[in-house]
This record gives sequence, structure tokens and C-alpha cells, in this order.
Amino acid sequence: MSLIELAGLTKKFGPIVALSGVDATVEGKIIGLLGPNGAGKSTLLKCLLGLVPFEGRAEVLGISAATHGAEIRDRVGYMPEQEAFLSGMSAVELCTYAGELSGLPRTEAMQRAHAALYYAGLEEKRYQPIDGYSTGMKQRVKLAQALVHDPELLFLDEPTNGLDPRSREEMLELITDLPARRGCAIVLSTHLLPDVERVCDHAVIMHKGRVRFVGSIDELRGARGRLGELVVEVKADPDKLATALTAAGATCKLLTPVQLEVDLPSAARNKLVFECARETGVQVRGIEVRRESLEAAFLRVIGAEEPVPKGPAYREAAAAR
Amino acid sequence: MSTSTIHDLGYKRYAGTRRDAGTRWRVIMRHQIAMAWKTWWRFKAWLGMAVLVSFIAGAVMYIFSNRMFHGMGRVGDAALMVRDVALPQSIAWYCRAAFLCSLTLGATIIAGDVQSGAFTFYFARSVRPRDYVIGKLAGLGAIMAIITLVGPVLLAGLRLGLCSSMSDVIDHLWLLPKAFLVGALATCAYAAVPLGFSALADSRRTALAMWAAYYLVGGTIAIMIGRISHTGWISALDLPTAIEGVTGRLFETPVLGGAVSHVSLAEGVGSLVVQMIAAVTLVWINVDRSQKSGVGGST
Repeated sequence: MSLIELAGLTKKFGPIVALSGVDATVEGKIIGLLGPNGAGKSTLLKCLLGLVPFEGRAEVLGISAATHGAEIRDRVGYMPEQEAFLSGMSAVELCTYAGELSGLPRTEAMQRAHAALYYAGLEEKRYQPIDGYSTGMKQRVKLAQALVHDPELLFLDEPTNGLDPRSREEMLELITDLPARRGCAIVLSTHLLPDVERVCDHAVIMHKGRVRFVGSIDELRGARGRLGELVVEVKADPDKLATALTAAGATCKLLTPVQLEVDLPSAARNKLVFECARETGVQVRGIEVRRESLEAAFLRVIGAEEPVPKGPAYREAAAAR
Repeated sequence: MSTSTIHDLGYKRYAGTRRDAGTRWRVIMRHQIAMAWKTWWRFKAWLGMAVLVSFIAGAVMYIFSNRMFHGMGRVGDAALMVRDVALPQSIAWYCRAAFLCSLTLGATIIAGDVQSGAFTFYFARSVRPRDYVIGKLAGLGAIMAIITLVGPVLLAGLRLGLCSSMSDVIDHLWLLPKAFLVGALATCAYAAVPLGFSALADSRRTALAMWAAYYLVGGTIAIMIGRISHTGWISALDLPTAIEGVTGRLFETPVLGGAVSHVSLAEGVGSLVVQMIAAVTLVWINVDRSQKSGVGGST
């Protein structure tokens, strides 16, 4: 069963088409939902939570969002981007209340509220009123309240917004640990590509109400990778290797004191690098096919007129339809 | 190993049953009452005022039980005893306590939720708009009932206790349902109408100002127009006038405030019901709309 399945999902607000025939089959542990402002990410979230009517088919955890929205919302957690607290409450009260609203009995909700707050790193502060929390602590409370009812899928909307570098790193660590420690999958909606690169294994890229890419991060970044375009890491003296490779017809560029960007001639293979290294006495420590940065891949995907390329999961779904 | 990791070692996924979605309103109601009870100025102060009113009215009923009532004329030719008038007279004071409670609690509930982003908190879960509206209404209703319903019913019970014989008790048994009816009407009115105003604005202060203006200024204008035009239903647009009018007709006694004399029972009840329905409809529409835009940013 896929986490999310969309087929012909269309949502219009009057004359404005927010989602236009979206087709996707989303799988993975931590999925980055990417797209510029107005791409349709928020509308897609609303449709997936069953909050707004739509045309087409949308299933979350195998449940139809069109007819069983409440059931979905019991099984997923949502961490909003904006503040969504009830004033005058402590973190443990808020999380207990959240658990009860998701159908847990009161005692169970209270126990799990404590557990969720421990997980989020708020064990010392959980009895203090949220109104006095710092931004970082509020983000942690938002994560805890989304986790308290044991969701199978978590939607996190800009979870690192407004955090200082250290808090951001801690939040990303919490997110990375979640699938293993809580057994839930995550959909991370964000504008911050470094966050996606750091924690996500899959990505969904949206633009102008359409899904432009669905697949793994490796597929996204490697889609442009050519076997002759390499990054070579050496122990020392990259200049020597660069000179030898240039003499053999390759194009070289020094990236760091130990890294070279190498474009081999069309007929050459990786073997050429090792031959040149042996000739010059340079020790090669690593060699890999050069890939696009996530940012470049993202810009390429949203810049494409047609929704290509897409991962195998998408192609299978499209073929099945 | 960090504390959270140690704590996590005992973690198990919840495998028990989840409560039916139809029970969410009870959770919201209980939360509403708990939050009201948390601070002294939201509810406890006005509860204290209601207790004081009950105590004073009860003391007057007891101490002056055999004295004639000489205030504000009589209804027909019947001579009224103080013990029969104390209960209806006290209704106006319960209304005042209820109004103060509506200022600190009722009139800001939904606006406060909008302001703090609580709609996202609620509707990202399996809470439906009707659960939210019913839960908030029931919570506020329970709070108001303690102020406007319990006191009058207790006073009616005390009045029965002051009866000299069993036949006198039976003659006065009607006091209980009448006190209950007046208290229930006041409870519903002071729960629903301020809640309706709280759904009109996105900020607590604005909602509060609108409700206060409606109650104090709008009510006074309605009374004045009603008096000049001798039109009962216009006067009954003022909430306390409508409630006191109903009280006066039910208990067949004069009550505090001369404006109620020309408000009939039907006009009083009708005005209260219309205002309550309008308020609940307003709340319903706004909450339903907010549910659709409250999660994942605006659309």
C-alpha cells in the first residue's frame, strides 16, 4: 500500500485552478514536498486531510480523503507552519488535549503527551505555559502535539522556520529519527532545499498546481548524471592528476584542495583516472559520478514545460491508469 | 544515551480503540470548563457574585418571610409577600453576573481561537465543525448554568422550604419548573449570543467591544424605542429586559426595571429564541468556513 495515491486530483477555487489533474503515487520514509509559493502544496495538504472537496481520487494510507477525511486525520499528524496553540495552556495540557481530540482515552492521552514531549526534548519545560516559550520550543511543542496520537504519517509544514542553526539541526535530527523510533512516515513541506537534502529520501515537486516530479532524491539528482562526469577525491596533489588528465583530453576543475571535477572525453572510461593517478603517483580516495545539486535539480524540474522526468513509482501509476 | 532515548525505550504504538468521532464535542466542552475554572477572573469571580446574590436573596426570603412587599406596585389586586418576590427580583442580578462572565469568557472564545490559530489545531484532527460548535456551546452553557440556573432553582427550593404546610408546598410547586425555565432561557441566551459575537471578529478585543456595545448601547436604544412606541418586541431585543419580562409574566410579580412591564411572555421568549438561533447560525457558518481555510495556510 502506498502512503499517498493521487489520480486526476483537481481543485478549483472559482476560476482559479489550484490543483490541476494531479497524478502521483508517493512512497518513502521521509518525503520532501517541494514547490515555490502558490504551487499548490497547502491545497494538496487540505485535500489529503479531507478538509476541502475536490475532483478526482486521493487516498492516504489506503483511505479515501474524499469520503473518510476524519478517519485519515485520526491516523495522520499535522505540524502546522504557523502558530496553532491554545492560549493559557502548558505543553503537557495541550498535548493531552490533542490526544483526546484524536480519540485517545484521557489517561492514555496524558501518558503519550509526556512521551511525545520527552521525545521532542521538552521534558524540563513541559509544565510551563506555552505563551512564554521561545520559537524553538514552540516548534518542538508543535511536533509533539502532532505525534501524540501515534500517527502513521506525519505532515510537517516548514518545521525549521525561524530556528537558529543549532535548533534547526536538532529539529532535523528529531525528524530523521522519527521513522525508526516512532514507525511513522513523514511528508516534509518546505522551501529549504538543504533541509530536504539532509533528511529526505524521496521528493515530490509541485509547480503551478501540477506534480512535476515524484521519486527518490537519488533519482532527482542523478537524472542528469553522466558516466563521464566525475568528482574525484585524492589524498594530495590534485594539480598533478589534473595536468595528466588534461593531457589525456579530459577537462578538470579544482573543487577543493582534495577534490577535482573531471569531464572525461566521450570515449574514455573511469579507468583513465586510475591510469593517470598511477602515472603521477597520486592516491585516489574516491570517485563518483557527478550529480546535480538539489537546487539545480529543483530549478530544472520546475522550469520544465512538461511534467518530466518522474520516478518509476509515477510511471507505474500512470501506466496502470 | 539521552533522557528522551531512555524514555523512548518503553514506547509502544497505541493499539487500543479510539473513541468515536461523535464524542469529540464532550472533550471540547470539558476543556472549555477547565480553562474557565483556571483563572479567578474568568468565571470564579462571577460565580462568587451569583453565590452572593443567592445568599442575599435567600436571607431576605428567610428573614422577611412574613412581610408584605411594597415595591414597584402590585400585579392586579394580589398582595405580594417578600418571600414570593425575592426570587424574580434576583433574576436581574443573575443576568448581570452572566453578562460579566460573557465579557471575560463567552464573547472572546471563537475570536480567541482564530487569533491563536487554534482552528488549525482543532481541524487538523478528526474534529468536525459541528463537534466544535456543540462543544463550545455546551461548555459555555454549563458555565452559564451555574450562574443563571442553579441559583434561581435553589431559591425556588428555599421558597418551598418556607411553606407552612404540605398543601402550601403543593400550591407553590410550580415555582420549580418556572425557575428552571427562566434559568434555562437565561443560560442559553448568555451562552449563545456572546458566542455569536465572538465569531464575528478575528480579534478578541473587537469581538468583546461589539458584544458590549450590542448589550449595553443597543439594548438601551431598544428599550427607549420600545417604551416610546409601546412595542414590546423592540424592548425585548434587550436581553435582560426579555429575560426579566419572561420572569415577570411567569411569576406574576413586578421585577426590577420598569421597561419590562410591556413585554409579553411570547415577545420575551420569541426575542430570546430568535437571537439565539441567529447567533448559533452565525457561529456555524464562520466555523465551517474557517475549517476549510484553517489548515495549511490560507487559500
